Amino acid sequence: MIHTFYRENDSFLHSLDPRAKIVGSTSALAIILLFNDPIITGSLLVSVLILGRLFGKISIREQLRLLKPLIPLVLFTIILWPVIYKPRLEGFMFGVSFALRLLTLGLVTFILLMTTPQRELIQGFVKLGLPYEFGLTISIGLRYIPTLYILTRNIMDAQRSRGWEMEKGNIVVRTRKMSAVMIPLLVASLKTAHELSIALESRAFGAGKRRTFLHDIKMGKKDYITIVTSLVLLGVALYLRYGFGFGHINVYG
Amino acid sequence: MIEVRNLYHAYRGENYVLKGINFSMGKEIVALVGPNGSGKTTLAKHFNGLLKPTKGSVKIDGLDTREHTVAELSRLVGYVFQNPEHMFFEESVFKEVAFGPKNLEKSEDEIRKRVSWALKSVGLEGYEERAPYSLSGGEKQRLAIACVLSMKPKYLILDEPTTGLDAKAEKRVVETIRSLKDNGHGILLITHDMNLVLELAERVVLLYKGEKVYDGPVEPFFDIALERYSLETPELLKLAKKLGVSFVRSTDELIASISGGVL
Repeated sequence: MIHTFYRENDSFLHSLDPRAKIVGSTSALAIILLFNDPIITGSLLVSVLILGRLFGKISIREQLRLLKPLIPLVLFTIILWPVIYKPRLEGFMFGVSFALRLLTLGLVTFILLMTTPQRELIQGFVKLGLPYEFGLTISIGLRYIPTLYILTRNIMDAQRSRGWEMEKGNIVVRTRKMSAVMIPLLVASLKTAHELSIALESRAFGAGKRRTFLHDIKMGKKDYITIVTSLVLLGVALYLRYGFGFGHINVYG
Repeated sequence: MIEVRNLYHAYRGENYVLKGINFSMGKEIVALVGPNGSGKTTLAKHFNGLLKPTKGSVKIDGLDTREHTVAELSRLVGYVFQNPEHMFFEESVFKEVAFGPKNLEKSEDEIRKRVSWALKSVGLEGYEERAPYSLSGGEKQRLAIACVLSMKPKYLILDEPTTGLDAKAEKRVVETIRSLKDNGHGILLITHDMNLVLELAERVVLLYKGEKVYDGPVEPFFDIALERYSLETPELLKLAKKLGVSFVRSTDELIASISGGVL
């Protein structure tokens, strides 16, 4: 069974050329990384949620559901910051800020993947000058995340059926117990990678230097407007950040 | 006894994938069949507690699966997954089979006894020091059965146990399943292979779109229009019918009926 993030729809984002979406997402990721004030990072998260709803027709609930797997990482960040940064209240605020950044970065990536078919995404990267092999590698990597998740669950179910209980024991015991899942997962992943490489080669992958595309992509007016708008927004953000020090709190000062 | 009463199951609040299933089985070989997505694996995963009922109940020898963990239920119900390699992580066959009894906190002596017995039951004695991943497809399947068997469950769930095996390996797995039945295990076979159903099953349960549409003996099962459920009548039965023989389980039986009646 093939699992991808892509959801068929007729939204504005779906209709955009992948190059415009790649430039837009990259600008968004850069903007997110510029600020570390929790008020700004929080506002950016809310803005991305709203933009995803308005332009991608992805419900807020669906977007929040996608962020669920990031929760352990978010909690880890929020808990760790006050431990290493004093005073604790400020440390906590930085933790919240970095967690919000993490969520927004994840959300932008998810929106790109949900509104762009894998084929178009590779095509976009290639047309932007990236070698096809890199585009394909990125795309396969992203495409296998849900597959690996399902595989991990199957393996965990198989081991649980043999009396394996992850919940029992201290952190050392638990880490050791994870080998019961990690080894079959690694073996299955390596096998899949090997089979995939054979399948690609048997379909003449890498035979010709210049690939042709069955469905070529073409930039339109709205794509240029999107690219210009996102670059202008990035320029404004850079100006605010470095011209006025806006939205930045000096953590190490 | 595995007892399922009015079982409904929905994943994450979506539509029901199992709708009002009633089912019970004892120490017999039951084939659970149906097209892809009919709910076979979802139903089977309720028997060792991997899934809990959304509505209704599942009881194993009187124990409600909702009140017990998978580890507790694994003493009663062994589940052999479709891909045996999803289980293997130890460097030797012995350690792999010992993993289950270790989890059940058995003594070293008891673990050795169980491993030896389980490997003997599946015809893998002498393989103790081999690496699980170095075994052939059929041997891996039998090792997966041994891994579960060493926990001494009363019931065994075998998910597509013969898929992808060559004829010889399939024969060994079929022999293993038969001997397990003779040793008093209840066996639930999840399969698409109608030849296996014909050869082994004592009873068939047919699921379709999450509902049980047939539960009964093997002979009348093959009178159903199986094509409707993306299943196919075995060639042996088609041939038997053309020769005027109503039902046989094997080629030998067919030859016997023909030579007894016609030739």
